Amino acid sequence: MAELRGSSGDAPQNLLTRWFGTPNLHTLDVYESKAGGYTALRKALFDMAPADITNEVKTSGLRGRGGAGFATGVKWSFINRDAPGPKYVVVNADESEPGTAKDRYILENSPHMVVEGILIAAYAVGANQAWVYIRGEYDEPRRMLVEAIDEARAKGYIGPRPMGKDYPLDIQIYRGHGAYICGEETALLESLEGKRAQPRSRPPFPAVKGAWGRPTLLNNVETLATVPTIINMGGAGYAKVGTAKNPGTRLLTVSGNVRKPGVYEVEIGKTFRHVIMELAGGPPEGRKVKVFWPGGSSAPVLPESMLDVTTDAEALAAAKSMGGSGGVIVMDDSHCVVKAAYRLLQFYAHESCGKCTPCRIGQDWAVRTYERILANEGSQIDLDILRSVSDGLQNGRSLCGLGDSGGWVIDSTLRHFRDEYEDHALRHECNVGRVMAHA
Amino acid sequence: MPDVNLTIDGHKLSVPAGTLVVEAAKTIGIEIPVFCYHHKLDTVGACRMCLVEMTPGPPRPQTACTTPATEGMVVKTLSAMAVQARADILEFELANHPLDCPVCDKGGECPLQDFTFRHGYPTSRIDGPRLHFKKPIPLSDNIALDRERCVLCYRCTRYYDEVAWEQELTTDERGVQSFITSQFGQPLQSIFSGNIIDLCPVGALTSRVWRFESRPWDMTHTATICSRCSVGCSVTQWQRRGQLVRVTSHENDDIDEGWICDRGRFDYTDVNDPKRYRTPMVDGVKATWADAILTMAAGIRGKGAKLGISLPQDITNEEAFLFRKLLDGPLKGARVKMHGRTALPAPTGDGLRIKEIDDARVIVVVASDIENDVPIVDLRVKKAVGKRGAKLIVVHPDGVDLDRHPGTVHIRNTAGAAAAEVRKLASHELLANPGGPVAILFGDGRGTEDAADLAAACTELAAKVGGKVMPLYRATNERGALAAGVAGWDKLDGVEALFSWGPPPAAGVPSTVRFMAAWDHLPREGHDRAVVLPAATFAERQGSYTNLEGTVQFLRPPIALRPPLKEGWEVLTELANALGLALDYPGIFPIQRELAEQPPSPEPEPAPVLVGPAHP
Amino acid sequence: MPALDLAQEELGHLTPEAMTEVATALELDPGYVEGVATFYSLFHLTPVGRHHFYVCTNLSCAIRGSAEIVRRFQEATGVKAPDEVTPDGLFSYEEVECLGACEYAPMMRLDQRFHYDLTPEKIDELIADRKAGRTAPPSPAATPPRERGGEPPPSPAATPPRKRRGAAPPSPAAAPPRKRGGTTRKKKADG
Repeated sequence: MAELRGSSGDAPQNLLTRWFGTPNLHTLDVYESKAGGYTALRKALFDMAPADITNEVKTSGLRGRGGAGFATGVKWSFINRDAPGPKYVVVNADESEPGTAKDRYILENSPHMVVEGILIAAYAVGANQAWVYIRGEYDEPRRMLVEAIDEARAKGYIGPRPMGKDYPLDIQIYRGHGAYICGEETALLESLEGKRAQPRSRPPFPAVKGAWGRPTLLNNVETLATVPTIINMGGAGYAKVGTAKNPGTRLLTVSGNVRKPGVYEVEIGKTFRHVIMELAGGPPEGRKVKVFWPGGSSAPVLPESMLDVTTDAEALAAAKSMGGSGGVIVMDDSHCVVKAAYRLLQFYAHESCGKCTPCRIGQDWAVRTYERILANEGSQIDLDILRSVSDGLQNGRSLCGLGDSGGWVIDSTLRHFRDEYEDHALRHECNVGRVMAHA
Repeated sequence: MPDVNLTIDGHKLSVPAGTLVVEAAKTIGIEIPVFCYHHKLDTVGACRMCLVEMTPGPPRPQTACTTPATEGMVVKTLSAMAVQARADILEFELANHPLDCPVCDKGGECPLQDFTFRHGYPTSRIDGPRLHFKKPIPLSDNIALDRERCVLCYRCTRYYDEVAWEQELTTDERGVQSFITSQFGQPLQSIFSGNIIDLCPVGALTSRVWRFESRPWDMTHTATICSRCSVGCSVTQWQRRGQLVRVTSHENDDIDEGWICDRGRFDYTDVNDPKRYRTPMVDGVKATWADAILTMAAGIRGKGAKLGISLPQDITNEEAFLFRKLLDGPLKGARVKMHGRTALPAPTGDGLRIKEIDDARVIVVVASDIENDVPIVDLRVKKAVGKRGAKLIVVHPDGVDLDRHPGTVHIRNTAGAAAAEVRKLASHELLANPGGPVAILFGDGRGTEDAADLAAACTELAAKVGGKVMPLYRATNERGALAAGVAGWDKLDGVEALFSWGPPPAAGVPSTVRFMAAWDHLPREGHDRAVVLPAATFAERQGSYTNLEGTVQFLRPPIALRPPLKEGWEVLTELANALGLALDYPGIFPIQRELAEQPPSPEPEPAPVLVGPAHP
Repeated sequence: MPALDLAQEELGHLTPEAMTEVATALELDPGYVEGVATFYSLFHLTPVGRHHFYVCTNLSCAIRGSAEIVRRFQEATGVKAPDEVTPDGLFSYEEVECLGACEYAPMMRLDQRFHYDLTPEKIDELIADRKAGRTAPPSPAATPPRERGGEPPPSPAATPPRKRRGAAPPSPAAAPPRKRGGTTRKKKADG
């Protein structure tokens, strides 16, 4: 395995990654003996009622770490534990948001932490079967997760009587095959059911009608990996970290033009300046930060002047952006924003599932417009087209967030870097250069 | 369910709870444009065309096709938010759409055209290359696909999956590169494929049989009844300059729910065949009606059992009624053979109606591959099982299409043992507590079963489990012919005179025939030495059929019968007179009135016990 | 999907015959299987090299020089475009989207593992190794069977895809290898 790149961030708030770096942390023995692993599961199964577990998660204020940031405890409470028939937990390990590597990081370093979280969640919502939907490209993390599950099964933590508790629990793995849209909950469920991955209309929501029509809880890897910590610290204890409305820590992937790219566990509420300039060492010598994406490519961009925005959801919303997946992409002043936006729109167009008209057509139309602009054939009309495509993708027009994301890229880069767009479209010049996605 | 009150564009209205907003708007004449939504398919909210402003709700447009009306809802389709959303979506739909209107068959009846006029931007900003596909692609002999025109509403693939239970039509690739295709480019096989033409809201799926034939405004049309099988679906037949140019569906929720099979849809070009007879012929020479009828009468008079009469599967009730008179009178003793009928006996008692299949909790299908025998009934069964949770039991020696549903219980009987299996079903677990009505559909196994015994067994089972039976007749008007007592079985070997009403016997003209007379529209073998009367086809004739459930439905021909062609009932009346039976009917209505006033036949046609190779 | 995965592992890519076989084995219509196979990027419908370089060119990797990596690969193998395979059948490449290892950019996936901090020199090395047969990809048999995906538990409310009945559909005769999608507009090079 590659060297651990990233760190446990700001001590003493390194709640998740505290033991990362311990040799063989990925084995059950070391996880249990050195990292206090599976204490939370034991506590949950034997000392707590399922409703209590959900309440602890609610109290903790944990929000989904996949991108949408929905209050996790509330999401758990949507599953009617007493409804007859099977329920499922599905783990979203599809991690495909550009700039995001935290779930891979967790799975490679401490897969047991994820396993433990899954088991606790399943018990809390009344599910006996969990599925991990892991993206097909994650060969190594998948191998490690398989091993971890095997170890847990051998130790009796997964099976008909986990730890001796009369409540069967099982985890199965399902491999994705290359589609970013599978990160969207209902598209993931379609893929899990063996179909083309196109999102469903909501309502009904997965908590009511999810996998194979059954009530289903979907959570991100990092979200579930945080659950053992919450059980051990108590929800109130967890809520003391971070900000009042957005407690805890989260793993931020910092990449791009920085000296020390890596996955950093950061207390929520620190500034991006701290994360980018201090933790990740800032841009290379002689360059300045020009623009950064605070939460994956789908988060509206922020310019250098907004580096002091804090990493909590409220501050980001006020800055007209979002926390998203925590993938912080930093671009310095040697790169052109228009070219970067073009590359991202190509991504969205390539990954669009094709179900709804605005995303299917709009992303591609934007790509063609960018091509024209970047080939010095643009004009004001093209800027108008980008504007209206961007509007046409957002605010309920699209069936799912993939459409919105493309719109936000156009929207936010236009808002903060209008002059670069006008350079290209109206004056047919580029004063910056680089990006260079393709040969 | 109680009604809910809501307001749409300032109009107050009341609709049953659960009605979708898009349907609620229709009730007061407000059009919310849609592409992917279809009232017979599950809603998906994919195309985003129906975005409107709704309160209560988020400050964003929402899809009217996925939202049920609720009490106190306020819907605005004309607010800036809604109008802009619609226009933008249309602009997107047109971004790759080719400028094909002048050569596209959909023009004139195209929702994309109509919506763009009514809701879209007046000018286009698309300047530059559009997405291109090779086109047109023949999906089958009858259907062409144009991928550039396709707006990917997925109605066609969803229909195939939900209604027809097949996936030979699929979507390939992803995003803007997606396209519709038949599996591995092979021709579509399903008998239900043609409905995708009616479903497609643009000119992507078109009929190859009707390609470049006409514009919609150049045709007139009527809603009439299909003549191809016993289900009696409503169809729309379109004519132009005296030709039947196309057939499309017509929604009759009691029978077909707007679907027709490919036989009804594509099998009509014989009506326009230039080789059609236009005047009577005697021995290959044109003759007058008077001469032809006299010659015919002379040839078939007084022959008794040496006369064979072949009747078509689509003989009308009125023609059958007149044949009964002939067979009771001057043609007494003649042998009669009807095309395409089953071995099933005449119905007894109150049978199952097609629409009652919807409410059945358990459906039993015996001795029939209904996909091929009675296709649209097959779709109705699939709907009851797939969408309404009915359980399904199939009794048949071979696999059938209904096996695709994982819950189907399939009992494979040995040929001939169907009745025995049906008797055992009384103790089947699914029928112990059906929880509602039971529907029992039975065929004749194409001649491999003892039809009378099977009918009895099914009737007994129905009585035991609280159900009704539907004998699956196959000939278009088998039931009407049975009621008139003319659904004949007789073998025609050894007859000296043959009178063919419609096409000649399927087994061929017997070699002993010395005199042949026919009422037919196309030349056949042997006609050059026969008396031939030019027939009116199904698109020109008046009359009625009785479908397999017993509903009498009247034909409304789209094409006016051109003299010297005559109506069938008129010819039979003249023939009767020439044979010495005085009949005088000034029109078809008196015949129908007389038919209606008749008491039902006292002795149902005795059913032959038939076990052996299938009857043609 | 797991079944298609097995087929692809064995054959290198998915042919219409392979997809039909999968369909028959699972009692599904081939059309259904075809639709699923063409949706996902990891299913190859045309032959690929024994060592297929999945090079990430999404934003983080792009601004750290992924274009150079692609160029070097092209130079070293003679392959000019993503659809091409070297004449010896060993190498081909594809520009892919974010692989979730952004802290090691520029990076790629090759032979079922990730390769980090790429430089042109590393590309040369990787190619040379494989040409000499020095580094074998992990054998598919090494991956434990379970991770190929379990079967969904039977559920009364389940609506699995319709099974196909009757004889297997005719083998698609000599269907030409499929290219992805409709026409591809040429990507304009970045300035």
